[in-house]
Amino acid sequence: MLSLRRFLPLLAFSLLGAPLQATDAPTITVRKSDALNVAFVGIGGSDGALASKVAQNDLTLAGWLTLVQPGMASFMISGTFAGGVLQGKVVKGSEVVLSKSYTGSPRMAAHQFVDDIVLTLTGHRGIATSTIAFVGNRSGRKEIYLADYDGSNARQLTHDNGLSVSPAISPNGRRLAYTGYQAGYADIYVIDLATGARVRLIKFPGTNSGARFSPDGNLLACSVSKDGNPELYVIGLGGGVRRLTHTRGAESSPAWSPNAGEIIYSCDETGAPQLYKISSTGGSGRLVPTGFGYCTEPSWSPDGQRLAFNVRSGGGFSVAVMDLNGGEARIVAQGENPVWGADSRHIIYSTGSTISLLDVPTGKSIPVVSGLGKVTEPTWTR
Amino acid sequence: MRFQTFALLSITALLALSGCANKKSKQYAGIDGDYVSGTPLGERTEGANFMGSNVERGQYASVQFGYDSSSVAADQESKLVAVADAIKGSGKTVIVAGFTDERGTQEYNRSLGEKRALAVREALIANGMKANNVQTVSFGSEMPVDPASNDSAWAKNRRAEFGIVK
Repeated sequence: MLSLRRFLPLLAFSLLGAPLQATDAPTITVRKSDALNVAFVGIGGSDGALASKVAQNDLTLAGWLTLVQPGMASFMISGTFAGGVLQGKVVKGSEVVLSKSYTGSPRMAAHQFVDDIVLTLTGHRGIATSTIAFVGNRSGRKEIYLADYDGSNARQLTHDNGLSVSPAISPNGRRLAYTGYQAGYADIYVIDLATGARVRLIKFPGTNSGARFSPDGNLLACSVSKDGNPELYVIGLGGGVRRLTHTRGAESSPAWSPNAGEIIYSCDETGAPQLYKISSTGGSGRLVPTGFGYCTEPSWSPDGQRLAFNVRSGGGFSVAVMDLNGGEARIVAQGENPVWGADSRHIIYSTGSTISLLDVPTGKSIPVVSGLGKVTEPTWTR
Repeated sequence: MRFQTFALLSITALLALSGCANKKSKQYAGIDGDYVSGTPLGERTEGANFMGSNVERGQYASVQFGYDSSSVAADQESKLVAVADAIKGSGKTVIVAGFTDERGTQEYNRSLGEKRALAVREALIANGMKANNVQTVSFGSEMPVDPASNDSAWAKNRRAEFGIVK
């Protein structure tokens, strides 16, 4: 088996090698292993200062790029911001790699420019235009807050003056679902973020909580206890109710696969909570072995490759990451509620007093939200 | 043919029963091994808010739970028997609210709190309460009785409280 595996790529190489070399086009080719040395020479123009500062921070946080002096750079990044328009440009020598204009606030235009740079140079979706939602208790009650991915522009979304928790944002960023107790029980509400219109969508008897949008944004997976036990359900925003699980345990924290075919969730059927995988059309849950005795709050990376989740280890709670194609889970941070970003590289999580952004390959973590009381249950658009 | 089918079903049922004999086998439906989760909840009393003025709280002692457990321990049963005896003849509705200690992640604690509330509900039903007169809600780790972070506080906070709808 091993020899066959070694032989096949050699065969493929010998067959394809010649044509590949012959058609080697003069386009930029960026491999994952390449160190992407870029120089950011700033954004000029009358309103360039803020856009420049934001873009500089975005380029640093992106993780894929190494900012160097112009003389050492493979790519030069520049721009001008004037009259509400950012004109951004990336060149490689004399070749223009990216040239695009962005309208809007200096901050949002800079975020969009950097996400385009990341996509163009690495092929990965960026996180700079993402919106974070989380729970904060600065007002004395738990309410839902929104912020840009870098923590700026933080604003309070709900003013329920009760208990508002477990936010989820739809993939297109248009809707936010959360668990609200204002009617006396735990119900799932959905807010249209553009209009502010709110619907009390899931209000079965018992506790309804932990809603997560399907990748197409049309379904919510959540915990519902109306049958006499907390079970996983998939509920359509336009109607339709499907029960997924039938166990004596309590199911919670569904995480959709990127193709919507499967859901990984937490269940305590055998004692301490473990992770299970089930088809999103129902069936039986299968254990996802992690090597840890207590696992909750899974998040499936958008590229489908990895799982982030909470483990109890020692006296505290940690964030673990595991390759779904095999390999051991490893602890990457101390905190709770990890959620993968659009780039399948960064994770946001809660340390209690902060929402922090973790770059998984480097292990670098920075707080992006603080000063809003206890901040928990972060999530973000992706 | 019919006999064969019957025999097959019987064997399946036997296997299903023997497979879970160590657990509460009466909670399994048998035919396809599905678990019948518990007693389905009846329609809510809309407007009844456990934390609001239309629900009387604190009349009855809370049922306490072990760490990560939703089983009603034998030494807690007298508390729920007291509630069932006082309420079952009145036609009033009881809301059982489940709580956890601060350890554990938020959403897991909400599901654990709900499981505790539902376990107490089943016990109330077993003691004569009508299923439709017992509602549940979980607050997870919110609103601790004792906000300290130690074993004694955690033990107090792992509980199910009773609220009587006025």
